[in-house]
Amino acid sequence: MREYLKNTWLGIWTVLVGMKITFKHLFIPAVTIQYPDVKVPLPERVRNRLYVNMDDCIGCDQCARACPVNCITIETVKGLPTDDLGITSNGKKKALWVTKFDIDFAKCCYCQLCVFPCPTECIYMTDIYEFSEFKRNDLHYNFSTLSTDEGEEKKLNWEKFQAEKEAQKAAAAKQKAEKPAPEKKESTDKSKSAGE
Amino acid sequence: MNIYDIIFYLFAAITLVSGFFVVSTKNIVHAGFYLLFTLFGVAGLYVLLGADFIAIVQLLVYVGGILILLLFGVMLTNKITSVDLRSGTSYIIPAVIGVGILWGALTAVLFKTSWRSKAPSGMDPTTSEIGRLLITDYVLVFELLGILLLVALIGAASIARRDKE
Amino acid sequence: MFEFLSDLFGSQIIAAFISAALPLVFIVPFVIFAVWLERKVSAHMQDRLGPMRVGWHGWLQTIADFFKLLQKEDIVASDTDKKFFNVAPYIVFAGTYLVFAALPFSSAYIGTSLDIGLFYIIAVSGLVVIGILMAGWASNNKYSLYGAMRSAAQIVSYEIPTAIVILSIVMFTGTLSLSEISDNQTAYFWNWYIFGGPDWGLTKFLVLPFMIIGFLILYISTLAEVNRTPFDMPEAESELVAGYHTEYSGIKFSMFFLAEYGNMFAVSAIVSVIFFGGYQSPIGYLGDALAANWLIPFEQLFWFAAKGIFFVFVQMWLRWTLPRVRVDQLMTLCWKYLIPYSIVNLIIIGIITLI
Ligand code: SF4
Ligand code: SF4
Repeated sequence: MREYLKNTWLGIWTVLVGMKITFKHLFIPAVTIQYPDVKVPLPERVRNRLYVNMDDCIGCDQCARACPVNCITIETVKGLPTDDLGITSNGKKKALWVTKFDIDFAKCCYCQLCVFPCPTECIYMTDIYEFSEFKRNDLHYNFSTLSTDEGEEKKLNWEKFQAEKEAQKAAAAKQKAEKPAPEKKESTDKSKSAGE
Repeated sequence: MNIYDIIFYLFAAITLVSGFFVVSTKNIVHAGFYLLFTLFGVAGLYVLLGADFIAIVQLLVYVGGILILLLFGVMLTNKITSVDLRSGTSYIIPAVIGVGILWGALTAVLFKTSWRSKAPSGMDPTTSEIGRLLITDYVLVFELLGILLLVALIGAASIARRDKE
Repeated sequence: MFEFLSDLFGSQIIAAFISAALPLVFIVPFVIFAVWLERKVSAHMQDRLGPMRVGWHGWLQTIADFFKLLQKEDIVASDTDKKFFNVAPYIVFAGTYLVFAALPFSSAYIGTSLDIGLFYIIAVSGLVVIGILMAGWASNNKYSLYGAMRSAAQIVSYEIPTAIVILSIVMFTGTLSLSEISDNQTAYFWNWYIFGGPDWGLTKFLVLPFMIIGFLILYISTLAEVNRTPFDMPEAESELVAGYHTEYSGIKFSMFFLAEYGNMFAVSAIVSVIFFGGYQSPIGYLGDALAANWLIPFEQLFWFAAKGIFFVFVQMWLRWTLPRVRVDQLMTLCWKYLIPYSIVNLIIIGIITLI
């Protein structure tokens, strides 16, 4: 009987204790962060969406080869000796048209492995992490500064140049005397691109 | 046709239709659920007769108690998860005879009785009157019923505990 | 109310329909408010914020959710027992709705001032049990069925202490009519039955502790009857998915929701009528002070809603305080604690009433 009454009392008492605790918490300021309005400051060196500074990219394909999930696709076309592709910020001369530089962020695992091998440090992590899309294809980012048409054009140019060179070679093999000059600085540029 | 007539026919229809389904359906659980509507309709008819206490007792005892126990019993004694609990028809001839006799008796009573009809006079509370009658005129019956229920309770408890021996 | 409406429209039929629909005017806004309150209370008790983005502090959230539920596809699994599957939510809601018919919202509005209101309320809650059993069984899903069986067993068991406590109050007050019980506790809060009723004298002080015990028992058992945590075995999310309404979606699911929250208010209102004066104001009426009689019913409506919502809040408070009990603990609490206590309470209150 005593046990029974004690149990009853214990039951009521413990419920009251619990209710006191929850009641106190009712007035404790919430710890919630109102995310889209208030954001937690990101730590330094966070790994989020990649960015490629195409001005500096020399199209060396090292990042694509480092990527463990193969989400970087790079296509390049050699520049013609006459084209001026510019110079990277650390002084390298660019020799390839990067006709395609796609990163598929649906695949990317943000491992940052592509960042280290880049000789010109032009691929790097930004602090943008809100880039969800409704369609998966929209996560396919094109970084190349050239449009598809321009890319085609560059390719055609190169093929034409190649063909002309072939023709020239053939012609040179036939008749050694003549000096046809299709482009001006051909020889110097050609040697450099071969060096690459 | 005033509102009470409409309500009466509504409840009568509910009672009759669901009652028909109760006896015609082959699925026991369905029959139990249809019984809900029948009992409910009968309670509504009681209300229209001015018998508020009886109506509510009808709901409390039949819907809230017996029907739930009935469904519980059916669901616990069979394979409860299967939807098709069936009961076949058997003993057609004895049933027809029994029902025929009952039907005859009821119709005979229905036509033989001189029904005393009373003009509707609002809803008089009946509860206190019933209570008074129960502990004055019918006190013996009341107590006997109490004892009967107690016996039934004790019997149920003893049956439930028998396997312990 | 019915007479007034039939005079107004000149037709009993229209009046009947309108007076039948009137409680909806209260239930739907209340449910919308209560769901929001529940989310806010639960959030703040866990140091969160809850819905914040739809309207001020998310107050429109439930309305948005309501419209979302309305548009949702009404999925009926192919192996369910179609007829009963479709009917069950409405039966559950009807059970809740019937209770509202007898609640005295204020001295001017009570659906039917039944002479046996309390008894009626206990009786019609049986309909909810049947509806739940029907839903669980017709879903043809074992979790639903378990939930329904638990729910039915739980409600049937906890009806006993509820009925016994109500019986003791009925003995003390001498009436079963809810409006009469409310009227008895008029004027100030010390006339409430929890404080021993309106009669001053020895009985008031003798009965007071037993009234408090009665209140506790009634509150706990009604909590169990509406399947709220800590007694939410029937819909225990972690074990039964969602119990008897697992298979429901869209409008039918919202019927269950409406019924659950409507029930919460109904039982809170019953507790407040029996022990806390129902629609009576605890501190006198503004209408009396201003000599504006028409104000009093509105004040009463306010007090009734406020008391009901307060007890609904306590239900939520308990929900976010206590963990769910086990089935055997549930039954132990009912049969070994609440029922003996309520019987002893009944006897003592009976003796006090006699002297
Ligand atoms: S971060 Fe990793 S996965 Fe993403 S592109 Fe770079 S190497 Fe590939
Ligand atoms: S490693 Fe750097 S320079 Fe090379 S292709 Fe990638 S981004 Fe361009």
